[in-house]
Amino acid sequence: MEDLELKNIWLAYGKQLADAEILNRQSWALNLRCFESIQQQKAATKLDSLSKFKTGAVILGAVWVLFLLFLVWGNQFENPFFSVSVGFIALFSVYAIVVYIQHILLIRNIRYDGNIIDTQKELSRLQSSTINSTRILWLQMPFYSTFFWHSKWILSMGLKFWLIPFPVSLLFTLFAIYLYKNITLKNINKPWIRAFMMSGPEYKNVIESAAFLQEIEEFRKDLV
Amino acid sequence: MHSIQNEAGFVQLINDNKGIIIKICNAYCQNKNDREDLAQEMIYQLWRSGKQYNPEQRFSTWMYRVALNVAISFYRKRKKDIDVIALDENKPELENVADSVTDTEENLTRLQTCIHELKELERAIMILYLESNSYREIAEITGISETNVATRISRIKEKIKEKISDKT
Repeated sequence: MEDLELKNIWLAYGKQLADAEILNRQSWALNLRCFESIQQQKAATKLDSLSKFKTGAVILGAVWVLFLLFLVWGNQFENPFFSVSVGFIALFSVYAIVVYIQHILLIRNIRYDGNIIDTQKELSRLQSSTINSTRILWLQMPFYSTFFWHSKWILSMGLKFWLIPFPVSLLFTLFAIYLYKNITLKNINKPWIRAFMMSGPEYKNVIESAAFLQEIEEFRKDLV
Repeated sequence: MHSIQNEAGFVQLINDNKGIIIKICNAYCQNKNDREDLAQEMIYQLWRSGKQYNPEQRFSTWMYRVALNVAISFYRKRKKDIDVIALDENKPELENVADSVTDTEENLTRLQTCIHELKELERAIMILYLESNSYREIAEITGISETNVATRISRIKEKIKEKISDKT
């Protein structure tokens, strides 16, 4: 089969579509207002499992932050270790939620008129952006080992404090920074990284988007 | 040339280029309902993106970009849910064309089957090639180099020819 033949088959296809008058009897033909309203309805009501997961995550995150702020407010800086630790946990949670919402909005409003490779790359990058919220959330880990500290408790422990709780918090800090640096799309297929990611449809989406990103990169490379 | 920014102009432009939309929908969806959903989404996104359309750019280049980007995204979203349906059971939009199966029709079915088997990005390149776009235009629409376009098209054609000859 020659090149011309392939193109001729395709041309005949166009002609068949025209002859069959399919182009003039499509049920979707050109009722713009109707399309607009259908698409808006879809956006408003069609919550697939992923959207539900995302919305659920944002709501849970918001409730969690409110609870933390309530604790900080209740403590009234009586114990600075508690207030600062819980404050930081709340701050990281707020940041992760903001990043998450921002990405959802960016996905919804992405422009489709860029070239295919760049647009699909951007879309996949945004779809896999849950990974950013996850790595930010790991940064709050050290504060879970400091919120119960108290000046009286530290003084009463004496040297023991510097030998046990302090090194533990230090290790948590180093581990959190290590995870923050290593939970990336490049490392997504490493089993130990998977162990520190969330599970569920969102995670599946991240894996699939990461694979497509890899495919796009391969596609962009000139073949020899 | 109609203006894309006003409704009547846009409707006319879409009317003039409906063939492209149908062919892309057929290439990315085998299920009739999905094809209709995709067509709706494509037209909606074209209308939405129309505000950013630069008249210095060729309309077809812009339209292919939007339509193919929407189709690839739609296909990737639906891929998990779509069962593989034999093409014969869901022949794309040609039901009333002829009662007897002609050679051309048979070849077209084979070609479409081959296109469906390509990865989504390769599928886009092949549609653009079959629609008689130049390598330069294909490079512009896809965002890869002309050399890459040429090499990929040649490999895809080989693949398609092999498959078509196997089936005959």
